[in-house]
Amino acid sequence: MGKKRVTKFVSLIFLLFMAIIWIVPLLYTVTSSFKSEDDIQSSAFTILPIHWVIGNYQDVLFENTSAPVAKWFMNSLIISVSQTVLVLAIVSLAGFGYSRMKFKGRNAIFLFLMATMMFPAVVNLIPLYKIIDSLGWVNNYLAAIVPGTAGVFNIFLVRQFMQGIPKDFDESARVDGASDFQIFSKLILPLIRPVLTVVALFTFTASWNDFLWPSIVFNDVEKMPITPGLQLLQGMYALDVAHALTGALVAIVPTFILYLFTQKYFMESLSLSSGVKG
Amino acid sequence: MINTGVNKELNMSAVIEKNSGKKRFNLSPYLYIGPHLILFAIFFLFPTLYGIYISFTNWDLIGDPEFVGLANYKEILFNHESTFYDQLHNGLGNTFKFVLFTVPACIIVPLLLAAGLNTRPKGLKFFQALFYMPTLFSVSAVMIVFSMLFSVSFGPINHFLNVETNWLSTQPYAWITLVVVTIWWSIGANMIIYQAALNGISRDLYEAASIDGASSIQKFFRITLPSIRAQILYTVVITTIAQFNVYGQPLMLTKGGPTSSTSVLLMYIQQNAFGSGISIAGIGSAMAVILGLCIMVVSAIQFFFLRQRD
Amino acid sequence: MKRKAVLMFSILFAIMMALSGCSSSSSSSSGSAKNEILYWNPFTGPDGENMKQIVNEYNKTNPKFKIKNVSMVADDMYKKIPTVVNSGKGIPDLTIVHAERIKQFVGNDLLTTYDDKLADYPEIKAENYVPAGWDIGEINGSRYSVPLDVHSFVMYYNKDLLEKYAPNALDDNVITFDEIKEAGEMSKKDKITGVGITWTRPIFLSIYNQLGGDITSDGETPTLNTPEAKEALELLKGLIDNKIANKDGEDPGQLFKSGKAIFYPEGIWMQNSLKDSKKLNWGLTNFPQISPDKIVNWTSSHQFVMFKDENRSKEKTKGITDFLDFVRENSLPWAKAGQNPASLVTLENPEYQDLPQSFLVKDPELQKSLKIFDYKYNGFVAEEIDKLVGDAIYGKLDITKGLKAAQKAVEDKIASNNKK
Repeated sequence: MGKKRVTKFVSLIFLLFMAIIWIVPLLYTVTSSFKSEDDIQSSAFTILPIHWVIGNYQDVLFENTSAPVAKWFMNSLIISVSQTVLVLAIVSLAGFGYSRMKFKGRNAIFLFLMATMMFPAVVNLIPLYKIIDSLGWVNNYLAAIVPGTAGVFNIFLVRQFMQGIPKDFDESARVDGASDFQIFSKLILPLIRPVLTVVALFTFTASWNDFLWPSIVFNDVEKMPITPGLQLLQGMYALDVAHALTGALVAIVPTFILYLFTQKYFMESLSLSSGVKG
Repeated sequence: MINTGVNKELNMSAVIEKNSGKKRFNLSPYLYIGPHLILFAIFFLFPTLYGIYISFTNWDLIGDPEFVGLANYKEILFNHESTFYDQLHNGLGNTFKFVLFTVPACIIVPLLLAAGLNTRPKGLKFFQALFYMPTLFSVSAVMIVFSMLFSVSFGPINHFLNVETNWLSTQPYAWITLVVVTIWWSIGANMIIYQAALNGISRDLYEAASIDGASSIQKFFRITLPSIRAQILYTVVITTIAQFNVYGQPLMLTKGGPTSSTSVLLMYIQQNAFGSGISIAGIGSAMAVILGLCIMVVSAIQFFFLRQRD
Repeated sequence: MKRKAVLMFSILFAIMMALSGCSSSSSSSSGSAKNEILYWNPFTGPDGENMKQIVNEYNKTNPKFKIKNVSMVADDMYKKIPTVVNSGKGIPDLTIVHAERIKQFVGNDLLTTYDDKLADYPEIKAENYVPAGWDIGEINGSRYSVPLDVHSFVMYYNKDLLEKYAPNALDDNVITFDEIKEAGEMSKKDKITGVGITWTRPIFLSIYNQLGGDITSDGETPTLNTPEAKEALELLKGLIDNKIANKDGEDPGQLFKSGKAIFYPEGIWMQNSLKDSKKLNWGLTNFPQISPDKIVNWTSSHQFVMFKDENRSKEKTKGITDFLDFVRENSLPWAKAGQNPASLVTLENPEYQDLPQSFLVKDPELQKSLKIFDYKYNGFVAEEIDKLVGDAIYGKLDITKGLKAAQKAVEDKIASNNKK
């Protein structure tokens, strides 16, 4: 098994090399959050702070009386969790529909959906706002939750993974008397758990990081999610690097925890996979 | 399996189908794709169609849009004298350049990383988290960090390379910077898709190939790549669409310069529709439609070459 | 067999309906409530805190209509305005916009005038405001806005470095470009930059106006491709070519804050970011001038406007004017944010007189130097100037060609807007 060890060694070297490149900007972000703005602006570049300060964190988290950071966090959690749950339900159903069900115009509908997604959404903002307004959703969590569930790309992703599962599986289940829904829920869903984890991670992160749309549909500072909320802490004119980066780090804590929590799921080997491919 | 809940609909459709003499109409697929189709129609299709309609008007976002036929398209496509013609050509050209520079790297780098991680090296979780983490940051945070790193007089990159390169406002460095930032920031998503895909490949296949004496590289091309073809199609198409929509990086890092050489089309579109002057949303929408058509053509080509042959 | 699918579909649907049901009941509060004035402004961060202080103090006086302060990032606010105006709901009662935008809003018939609404508040009148700020709100004989402030683009200097390299430059209270050049020639041997090239738009426009140029000749036609514009760009290019100004890509703010630049043209609003630099000993003066005879300081202004809304009652409008009158008398917190309040009441306050930026308002002569570039198509001009100046003065773009292209671009944008 010498060959295997060589492969392992070469890939480790490659990973280490890439890791060095990847870590520098991250390290810089973290250490900058412990520098005073004065040090960042007026001293030559240093990786480590000359004077360690935690004031930036205090400012971002507690100092602003008019900035309810804790409330923003809760709002973001409500919005991102709801959207993720909805997307998972919608996407797995639709993915199953487009990859497993046979019906007239299946591919045509799917291609039409994809084609629509190609147009950059620019002036769409205004009709979308009108729709939200006529639903009575302005200043409501739903305005930030629901439109994001209409995307097509996650369905595409799930469909691609489902196509990797041989159709023989369904057929033999069907012979055994399973219904479509049983095939979907008992057979396919467990098999695509890794990709659903990926979808959940992407959806949650995208929803968490969205800033333009929430700031259009929320009027109330109290209702804001964290990402557009933190923008309000930045001054109008001078860019405050230390606080901006501290805010960015605070904002990614939940998405990073979610990542740590989910990584074992998308890394899990498919138990049935040994029989699947071949 | 008789279902009382939907009997009515089924009976009705059965009647219709009897008349048309076809097989029984099957409602079932629409129950799966239906929820999404409804949401899609309301929150995506309608606003998009409206946006396309706007491209045939002279709308300024405020008054009523007035239909002007193909005037906007004539202006941006054929009126060589027009500023908007220049904007479209320069913007589209730069956007295509950006796609060409970034997409291959945004496919290959995460694929190699995922393949490396798939050998289960020591520190797997650390590597994984490290490469994924940049994706979690918002574009503005990333651009702040990189403008500091690439700063001419205070930045560490010039310090360590001992040069005075002006990374953000001279070419070809401006492009290099944009590409590096984009790769650093955005490969995480593709990497975990590949990881999930690679985990689905049976170990038996590799064992069998090893017995046949295949090298690691041969195994990569003969087993790994074909097995994750579906996922590669997905990442290629989605990454291309994402990079065609590039906006934040050049806007915040190079401000489209030097001399508009990194001004991408979406910057012009945004400026025309939501700039500091009076909105020229009609022209902006027409440019967006052209960009959409370009993306469609490129994606269609990708689908054609990478489609699965059932 | 389809029961479960149907079930799932209907559950999803039910959830959505339930969610939307509970939402529509609360949606009535999304716009402005009955006795509340919805007040939008682009003041974020520390500046926003100062505005909030004024609002809170006003609300403490128990007015009939309380102010609901909503701060937004400026870009988002300007995107949000057309969306709410279009849907006709949730229109703010009172909004702060930049002076340069007012004409285009008036052109679109979006604003309500103050003409018949100021009768009960006679003190809201020209005599009580800085002219530059007040005049901008008067269009075709009607008053569309009331100013909050006049904020100018001036120049900071490092007192120690000034003492060393140009000790007599400030004798006449004006630093000329010749004086900057002299100082810069001396300082460059010590690796000290003479002047920082910061925000190119106001820098260019100030010089352009000093030379007698303006962005429009008659309020309709843009005038960018002129000999004066060329001269202004060449002056700046000269500073760069002679290494008086910072190199391309160098951050002038960092240079100044680390004591490596003598002069730092910036807005008065930037003071707060300098206050953290404790080692720095800085002063504030006029923007550099070509000659001390005609002083120009680029200026803009935050203005209170009312977007049209049929549902706004007369009483509420009165509540709005009441707030404006309160702001007129209580602008000091806004001055502490680094701005110059437009209301002259503040001028009598000794605390304000101690603030560095007050020099522009204290001296009636200098009040005349405040130049707001008011033009219906200001936005188009701004976009093209931003694109042009940096490239032209750093030698990446031929000045003549650049000016020609900028002029053409503004003309084309105007033409496409008039194609109605």
